[in-house]
Order: sequence, then structure tokens, then C-alpha cells
Amino acid sequence: MDYYVAIASIVGIHALLGLSVYLVAISGQMSFGQQGFFAIGAYLAGMGTALWGLPLLPSLVLGALLAGLIGIVVGFPALRVRGLYLAIATYGFGEVVRLVFLNIRYTKTIGDRVVGPNGAEGFRHVRYVFDRGFTGLQFLGIIAAVVAGVAVLFYLLDRSKLGAMLRAVEEDEVAAATVGIDVTRVKVLAFGAAGAVAGLGGGLFIHFSSYIDHDMVALPLAIASITYPILGGLGSFVGPILGAVLLVSLTEGLRVLHELRMFVYGGLIIVTMLVRPRGLVDEALVLRAKRWVRPRPMPRGGDVP
Amino acid sequence: MPRILLDATEQLLNGLMYGSLYALIGGGFTILFGVMRKLNLAYGSTIMAGAYVSLIPFYLFGVPAWVMLLSSIAGAVAVGFLVELVCFRFLRKGHELAPLLTTIGMLIVIDEAIVHATGAVGLEYARPFGEESLAWGPFLVRPDYLAILVAALVCFSLIFFLIHRTRLGRAMRAVAERPQAAQILGVSLRRINVLTFALTSALAGVIGFFAVVSVGAARPEMAVWLTGKGLVVTVLGGLGSLRGAILGGLLLGVLEFETMWFLGTSYRDILAFLLLFAILVVRPAGLAGARAT
Repeated sequence: MDYYVAIASIVGIHALLGLSVYLVAISGQMSFGQQGFFAIGAYLAGMGTALWGLPLLPSLVLGALLAGLIGIVVGFPALRVRGLYLAIATYGFGEVVRLVFLNIRYTKTIGDRVVGPNGAEGFRHVRYVFDRGFTGLQFLGIIAAVVAGVAVLFYLLDRSKLGAMLRAVEEDEVAAATVGIDVTRVKVLAFGAAGAVAGLGGGLFIHFSSYIDHDMVALPLAIASITYPILGGLGSFVGPILGAVLLVSLTEGLRVLHELRMFVYGGLIIVTMLVRPRGLVDEALVLRAKRWVRPRPMPRGGDVP
Repeated sequence: MPRILLDATEQLLNGLMYGSLYALIGGGFTILFGVMRKLNLAYGSTIMAGAYVSLIPFYLFGVPAWVMLLSSIAGAVAVGFLVELVCFRFLRKGHELAPLLTTIGMLIVIDEAIVHATGAVGLEYARPFGEESLAWGPFLVRPDYLAILVAALVCFSLIFFLIHRTRLGRAMRAVAERPQAAQILGVSLRRINVLTFALTSALAGVIGFFAVVSVGAARPEMAVWLTGKGLVVTVLGGLGSLRGAILGGLLLGVLEFETMWFLGTSYRDILAFLLLFAILVVRPAGLAGARAT
């Protein structure tokens, strides 16, 4: 039971990471550095509860806010860079964050434990959740609530003017600018909000695992975080969530196959892309789903020229 | 010469020698991207696959280094064909992100195969160039670094000859420039793609041999390191520009050695990545990039 609770918790945390990449992607940008914001959120939220004695919620908010602010700071120079260049530039940012945490020491001795970011040792003993007697299931509830809240925001975004503006910028920046959309503001906003979402995921992660180190936010996490939205599809926010659910539950759930697990995992990514090159929930599927939910009235025969 | 200048020059030499390994990695990514307009994220794993294949005759028969180099090339080419077949051949056209993911899938599969075959421990590799540093004037030169520089010179000479002086190279350049037009003129896209894969994979075999020689042991996690360096160099130089990749590789090498010497290992990578970010912001299409995508 605990095992499945842990898997579900990781699914939720990684879904946030996937949504973060998705949010940048639907503004027509490509980030390979969201794990950096994840790390910022994790370290700051961890410091909040473990070093400064703050409750969980303010710590999470603090981590998300700082990640979001840094997202905005990164968003401005990112405006100049496009496509794969942007992906690698943001990967550079993610690595800088990782290496800063590899070198930062800011510890306190609490009881007989050294707590705080401790260079290569990582940030250990973030025991808020355990000390307060939360069970794994209860903390999963918190994670699920956060993911659900973020998902609702994405749902509202999809139907809002801002969502339409994002998609317009993704489709054609020049055209978007000519109809009066402030492209700069939209893109930077997307970066900031995406940073906050990833930071939230990081904050949840460090409280879930009680521990984080620089190795956990390196290239493999970057690869995982772009895999969720691309495999899940960029047609709707359901895509990255579905991607995270599928891939994380596969990696963990296939433990019965333990020897062959990663072969199946890699093979499935390849096969999925061969069959559905735009991801599982692609634009065409979203359109069809919308028609199915709200069918358009059939045109009357007489009107057809 | 004052001490500090002497040190700086020595690190400059080291950086240029080791940077030529980065240039080779970036070159492999770049040639493939230039011709096919696709990024092969499984390239780092192809490099490691070659190095691991060359361990088989080494452990079984204790073969000399040149046989290991050849078997590394053969192994990498075999894996490269597999990557082309699985990740690119049957992929539908016009979806930019799909090849990224198929090659990520392949990266996972190859790495896992290596981990399974070796038990994830580092395996001692041959040291064909000895341990003794060579004295060159006031400078000490590591022989394996020197070998990397020589290998890079040979490889890039061959590659530039191939691209600019042969029919195949002309066909490759035509496909890179205008795939449809090249096809109309009778160039087979499939053939060029496969041959480009063969070329870059053979290069991967050379890189695998020299990269592992310079580290001294083969470890599965080197694939991530190679992929990271390759991506940085490719983009730093400007996607699809071979000259840019060489420039980017040498620059990264020099920068890493100078910062490592003067500031210590912990600052080396921070500075390198900060510089990457800064360069891309100032020159959004890379160092040699006129052709922005």
C-alpha cells in the first residue's frame, strides 16, 4: 500500500514538472531547464520548514514565488533565443542552478542533526511531514490537492483570453503582435508562471522524500520533464499529466519485470512517437473531444451554397 | 615568463587539446543535424556503446590499442544503424519533437543494455599512451591529450575532405541545403541519411575510444556527460555549422581548464554554463550561426 502511495506521490510531483514545460511550450518557447526551478522551489521550501520553522503552506508558496520570480528574470534574456538554442540556453541555466546548490552551504545544527543545504551532501532531514505525523496517504492528499488546483488553473487558462493569447503567440508571433498582443509580456509571464509551477513541484518533492541533492536535478530529470508533455501531447494540459501518469507508473509499476523494465520503458516511448508523433493528446484529438462534448448545430441544407 | 602566465599558457594548451575532444563530439551532433535537421540525443550513448564494444576483444584477447579503436568504430557504427532504423526510418515527417523523444527512448535502452552487460561498475580501459607526461619546453603535456588532438586533426581533415571534395559530400551538402531539390536532381535521401549516420557513428567510435582512454575507465554515466557536452558545443557553435562546433569545442575546453586551474573544479562548470547562457543571449544563433532556425 505504502508503495503505491509513494508512486502516486511521485506521479503528482512529476505531473507539475510536465505542466511547467507545457506552459512554456504553449507560448511557443522550449525549455530544457525547468528542473532548475524545481530545485529552487525544493531548496527554498525545505529551508522554510526545516531551518526557519515555517509551516508547510507558506514554505511551498515561498519556494514557488522565488522560482516564479527567477522564471521572470530568465524569461527576459530567453526572448532573444529560439527553438533548440533556447532549449540549450535554458539547460545551461538549469545546470548553473544545480552547480550553485552543489556548492552552497547553509546549515544549522538542530538536535544532533546537521540540517540545511550542505554542498555535495545535499539537503537532508527535511522532516516536517514526518515530525507532524502525516501519513504517506495524507501527504498524497496534499499533493493531489495541489495538482488538482494547478490543473483547474490550466483549465481556466485554456478558456481565458490569456490562454488564447498564449496560443496565438505560439502560432505566429508577428501576427499576434499585429492584433495588439504584447508578445514580450505573454512570453515572460509564461516563463514566470512555469517557474512557479515547477517550484511548487520541487517544494512538494523535498517534503515527500525529506531529501534532495544536486544529482537529482541533473540531465535525467530534464529529459524526463520534457518527455511528459511531448509524449502526452501539447494539445491540452491533460497531455503532460497523462504523460507523467503513464511513464512514472510504468517505471515503478514494471518492477515485476525488473530486469527488462527500462527496455520496456524506452521502447514504449519510441513506439508511441512512431504511432502518434504529436503525442497522445494532440490537437486533433482535443478538437474531436470538444466537438463530441459540445456538438455544433448541423448547418441547414438551404444555407449551403 | 612570470609564473601566472606560464600556468595560463599550460592550461591553454591543455584546453585546446581536450577541447578538440569536445569539438569531435559537437562535430558528430552537428553533421547529423546539418544534413537531417534532426537532433540525435542517443549520440552520447552511441559513443559509449562503441567504447564498450571495444572492451570485449580487450578483455578476451588483450588486443593492442589500434584493434580496440577499430572495434570501437565497428561497434558504434552497428549501434548507429540501429538508432537510424528504430528512431528515424519509420518516423512520419513534419513533427519536430518526435525524433527528440525516439532518440531519448533509444538513449534509455542503450544505457540500460550497457548497465546490464557490465553491472554498472567502471571497467578499466587500456592506457596505450602511457602515464608519463611529456616535457615540452617549460610545459608538461599529457600524452593522451596530445593523442586526442592528433585524432581530432585527422578526423576533421578527413571529414572536410569528404564534405568538400567528394561526390558524396556534395550530395550531403545538397540535402542539407535543399532536401527536396536534391531529391529531384536524383539524390536518394534515404541513402544520404544512412551514410550520414554511418559517418557520424564511425566518428562516435573514435570519440568513444579517446574519451574513455582520457578518463581511464569506461563508466555508463559517461553517456550523460558526453551528451551534455555535445549539446552545449553544438548549440554554442551554431546548429549545423561544423566550423562553429570546432570553435565551440575548443572554447569550452580552454575555458574549463583555465577556470579549473585558477578557480577550482567547483567553479569550472558554473562558469562554462553561465558563459553558454550569455553567449546565446548575445548571439542567439551561436558563434558561427548566420543560419538561425
